[in-house]
Amino acid sequence: MVDMSLSPEQQKVQQLAQEFTAKYIIPVDREWDEKGEFHEFILEEVKKAGLNCMAVPKEYGGPGYSSVMQSLVAEQWGYGCAAFATTLGGNGLSSYPLAIAGTDEQKKLYYGRLVNGGMGGFALTEPGAGSDAGSCSTIAKLDGEEWVINGTKCFATTCGYTDIMVVFASTDPSKGVKGLSAFIIEKERAGVIVGAVEHKMGIRSSNTVELILKNVRIPKTHLLGKEGEGMKLAMKTLDMARPIVASLAVGVAQRALDEAVKFAKEYLDVNGKPIGKHQAIAFKLADMATQVEAARQLVRNALRLKDAGVPYTKEAAMAKTFATDAAMRVAADAVEIMGQYGYSKDAIVEKLMRDAKVTQIYEGTNQVQRIVISGILLNS
Amino acid sequence: MSYPLTEEQQLIQQNAKEFALECVEPAAAEIDHTAAHPADIVKKMIEQDFLGIFMPSEFGGAEAGYLSYALIIEELSRVSGAVAAILMNHASLAAYSINRWGSAEQKTTYLSALCQGEKLGAFALNEPGAALGAGEHKVAAVKDGDTYVLKGRKCYVANGGVAGVYIVFAQTNPEAGAKGISAFIVDGQSDGLSIARIINKMGLRGCQSAELVFDNVKVPVANLLGAEGAGLAIAAEALAATSIAEGGMVVGIAQAAMEDAVKYGKQRIQFGRPIASFPAIQTMLAEMATNIHMLRLAVYDAATLLENGEPFAAEAAMIKLFAARIGQSALIDVIQIEGGYGYSQEMVASRLYRDIKGAVIKNSSIDFPEKIIAGNLLA
Repeated sequence: MVDMSLSPEQQKVQQLAQEFTAKYIIPVDREWDEKGEFHEFILEEVKKAGLNCMAVPKEYGGPGYSSVMQSLVAEQWGYGCAAFATTLGGNGLSSYPLAIAGTDEQKKLYYGRLVNGGMGGFALTEPGAGSDAGSCSTIAKLDGEEWVINGTKCFATTCGYTDIMVVFASTDPSKGVKGLSAFIIEKERAGVIVGAVEHKMGIRSSNTVELILKNVRIPKTHLLGKEGEGMKLAMKTLDMARPIVASLAVGVAQRALDEAVKFAKEYLDVNGKPIGKHQAIAFKLADMATQVEAARQLVRNALRLKDAGVPYTKEAAMAKTFATDAAMRVAADAVEIMGQYGYSKDAIVEKLMRDAKVTQIYEGTNQVQRIVISGILLNS
Repeated sequence: MSYPLTEEQQLIQQNAKEFALECVEPAAAEIDHTAAHPADIVKKMIEQDFLGIFMPSEFGGAEAGYLSYALIIEELSRVSGAVAAILMNHASLAAYSINRWGSAEQKTTYLSALCQGEKLGAFALNEPGAALGAGEHKVAAVKDGDTYVLKGRKCYVANGGVAGVYIVFAQTNPEAGAKGISAFIVDGQSDGLSIARIINKMGLRGCQSAELVFDNVKVPVANLLGAEGAGLAIAAEALAATSIAEGGMVVGIAQAAMEDAVKYGKQRIQFGRPIASFPAIQTMLAEMATNIHMLRLAVYDAATLLENGEPFAAEAAMIKLFAARIGQSALIDVIQIEGGYGYSQEMVASRLYRDIKGAVIKNSSIDFPEKIIAGNLLA
């Protein structure tokens, strides 16, 4: 179904993503979940469809999709499989710091890898630094013309098979948050070690690993932005990424809704009447649909503000919180409506309920979003 | 705990707690992982008299009352929802039904076997693709002399494949629709009864669910439970009794999860202090503690009504409604507090998250708690 409120160009992208999802993702979503990994070919197909590096501008060889267009694709991927959407989202997420602070040379390096089919990664979180990203214990020291980086990152998305990544490290631990800096690290650098793989309850085919950096040497020019401005860069990056995660969550919620509606139409009660005829079920479906649509429009609004170049931090945080909370509720409601069938692996909604949970946690927990929203409200 | 439990109930609770910690908890993660029926633990529960805990002593039960049983379910659920679910399907659904509606002969034969753990009980209610009696795979029972011949399919039958006694709901009079459904006691060894497949579930893994095929299964007329056409009423009451036990399950699972979150929240340092010191986290903990307390009291109250022979359907439905809401939200919040750590498959919180959903979803599409509660108000 094409959204007629979109421009013809946007509609085209939405349709492309929809077809891709229907053809390549939905048929294997259950299998990916069970195995905890993707089929390799899918990344080739993504590349063929030109969807692997959406955020890369045209002058660097990418399609240069607007935020709204990126969001449309993320929603369709979320509809198919949140883990897959998360993996490909990593390419967008790790592209944003380049767009914000990258030099032409850095962009050529980073975007070049993505355009050639490489995967990007973004490593901020550490065992002791989750919501409190300033408590970073990964250290970068300048040694002549090179940075030497040491430390361990955790919950690093896709970093088991990324080609290039943006990694945060402290260049001055005495300054806390203000000592944080961002670096570009290529996977092949000596000392980049992929540690333990995280076995997760949901988004199981998204690769989450521990990333160990042992005397990793990178050129001085791999510092992204200014020294000590890493936190600011991370925050701006997450502003850009939040509506995309929110879109993924809208996709999860829409899928859960569609599955529940289908069930409510087909499943007969003891009197041989579809259970959707029961007001208890029908009203619940109505509430679910309303939440999905509200979430979608909140995301669109944040992105329109962004594309118009006006402040959108608060709206991005609202969209992320609302959409991911909605995905959680709608997925849980879908399982409830579908009962024992929904709870079994015969249905996909149990996976959606496991997947939805992480959207409330990653890219800034919804508690962090509320800090952002209330901070803007109370300090303006 | 301020609810006035008798000395006997307190002893049973204490014993169940110790049993759960010693005999169940060490195996809980493995049971979830393999999803294999934990026969050794069931054997130990038999030794503890759990299987006939609220059943009359005449048939080998412990006659300790429904509240004692609910206490056991709560304690088992704190460590393994799957083990609690095995007991619940056996006791609240199968044994309860025979005790409530069975003839003297049926009780002697089947209830005794269930109480003493010679056989495990199961409740075969759901059918593929549609509610009871409404779909193309419905189980139909046709009378032929002194037997009924059962044909059709049942799915999502908990304890399916490991049970020795099934309460099977089958249509004896298709013209009467829902009123033409009857309940039968079916021996697990009956000819023509087979397991089509084991169902893979999100949680409560280890409480085996199966799809059953009835291929002209001959059931003696003497195994009709209650009157012909009474099936739906039997199912409704057994499901109501089960709602109370499910409330106990939700209390146990949510309590365990909350304790896990408290432990994590005290240890996890962010912004220079334990995250449990943040009001946002405390609000979540306070809400779940309040909800768990309320639900526990409601469970104890309804269990007491049931054991005193008073009406309990509305109270049980209230438990179902409230437990679904608070159980779900408690686990969503617990994982939120524990973040990426709680989301890990290796952490207990993620198992509890999956398990609690199984404790709160409807057993069948015939139980709408709102309908029962409102029906009671409007009657």
